[in-house]
Amino acid sequence: MLEIEKLSVSYGTVQALQEVDLKIAGAGVLHGVIGPNGAGKSTLLDAVSGRRRPTAGAIRYRGENITRRSVAWRRRRGMARSFQRTNIFQDLTVREQLALVAWRLRDDRVEDVIEVMDLGDYLDEKAGRIAYGVQRRVDVALALIGRPQLLLMDEPGAGLSAEETLRLFEHVRELIRERGIAAVVVEHDVDAVFACCGVVTVLDLGRHLATGAPAEIRADKRVITAYLGSAA
Amino acid sequence: MNGEAAARVPVQRDALRAPTARAGWRIGAGAAALLAFGVGAVAPQYVASDFILKLADGGLLLGILALAIAFLMSQTGLVTIGAASVYGGVGYFFAIGMTEWDLSPLAAIAVSMVVVILYAAALGALIIRTTPLAFMMLTLAAGEMISHAVLLEGLRDYTSGADGLVVSFQGTLFGLESGDFTNAARFWAIVWTAAWVAGLAAWGVRRSRFGAVLRATRQNEERMRFSGFDTYAPRLAAFVFVNVIAGACGLLHVLNSGFVSPESLGLGVSTNALVAALIGGTATSAGPLVGGLIFAFAQDEFGARGFTQLLTGIAIVLFIVVFPGGVVGALDAFVRGMFRKRQQESD
Repeated sequence: MLEIEKLSVSYGTVQALQEVDLKIAGAGVLHGVIGPNGAGKSTLLDAVSGRRRPTAGAIRYRGENITRRSVAWRRRRGMARSFQRTNIFQDLTVREQLALVAWRLRDDRVEDVIEVMDLGDYLDEKAGRIAYGVQRRVDVALALIGRPQLLLMDEPGAGLSAEETLRLFEHVRELIRERGIAAVVVEHDVDAVFACCGVVTVLDLGRHLATGAPAEIRADKRVITAYLGSAA
Repeated sequence: MNGEAAARVPVQRDALRAPTARAGWRIGAGAAALLAFGVGAVAPQYVASDFILKLADGGLLLGILALAIAFLMSQTGLVTIGAASVYGGVGYFFAIGMTEWDLSPLAAIAVSMVVVILYAAALGALIIRTTPLAFMMLTLAAGEMISHAVLLEGLRDYTSGADGLVVSFQGTLFGLESGDFTNAARFWAIVWTAAWVAGLAAWGVRRSRFGAVLRATRQNEERMRFSGFDTYAPRLAAFVFVNVIAGACGLLHVLNSGFVSPESLGLGVSTNALVAALIGGTATSAGPLVGGLIFAFAQDEFGARGFTQLLTGIAIVLFIVVFPGGVVGALDAFVRGMFRKRQQESD
């Protein structure tokens, strides 16, 4: 589904990602990306989704090199993402924004996204006026429209309680299994990642540290030293 | 999340279909609009003096130009202060087309509008991606370039430099004679119709999917791109659209005045239209048209007192402070508030 080859991204003189190689798990599996602050997790999602142009390396999506493709092109071909900071249309109602995106992506079955994200009661509310937790769900719902094949989520639990984060992860896991979506989630809440992700990748200082099943990652001494510490 | 998956309320199909107004209400509103259009086109010719009609003609022309500016502002968040370059420039092409190229009036209009579309597309392609402030300054720069170009010595044979060009045509244009455009009373019906056509076109675009794409792009361009939208072409199309309105308005102006001069290309025309848009309100189609009329009558009143610029400045500040959404915007908010209150009381 997604292969990242020697991907490097720099911000001026700062190397945010250094020659990262990664193969994302297949459909129906939630692939978690964890690591300390500054590890390059969000930069990885930015590069994959087209928000930031890599300085070197290649991104292959469904066998095609998409490194220089636009954000909109990637989205129309099934690569969707949600954001660390809620990135929705504040002045549109939930209904208006879901309808607009559904129209663009020719998705006439948005009802189940509304149901899964539990947005039925908020359809006629302006998005800027609803609670932050609900806005997060609108953000994820916008990414789920159009039946994406690869879903990239940048800290979907940001601003939510641990319980809400875990529940959101469970909903997403349920959804990607049902729909056969491959999903990558960057998250600080390690417990939620280990509980819900089938595969976990650890980044540290812009480099790939380890990839494996949650149990393997928990036991990996390099990961414990660099990131998990006593949390393991 | 609010609850477990099992507790979620199933969502009906067509959940995204927005509730629409009742058919009866829509028929009533349509009939009222038709009546307003008919009465507005005819009645002033019988009740108003030629002087008042002349002011109203000019005010509505300014209003149509303001409508173009307001549409771009409200839909894309971009402010153009170079609208007069199209408004006046189209008049030059129309005049030159007939006198130098021996075109019929209709062909001269067609050529002028094609030039407007090409100019807007080329300029827009270059500047539409810039920041709102840079966009504003670039439209100003482009407008100033054009207003200076007509004064170039090398083009004097075509433009007559600072003297301007007399514009008149033989025969008929859309079944109307030259005198119909220059007569204040008869021109009122023409400009009134043009205002309705431009207003309804802008209203239709606002309510269309294209309008929704523009507004959503204005709000959050990044999310639009991450939702699969091209955010460049729609804004470029909107820029061309408003320039077509400005061009059509400029043609009416030149047909009405029978004259085109560098003054009609100047920054003053653009800023007057911008002020008219702010006075009336940019969020609706009616706002800028009403703003144009208010501006024209206020200017005349202030001029009669001998303090045009001073009183205009004070009035602009007062209007914008008291009615930040414009006169029509304030009226619209008041009526909506009344309806909401009544509905809450009946609930």
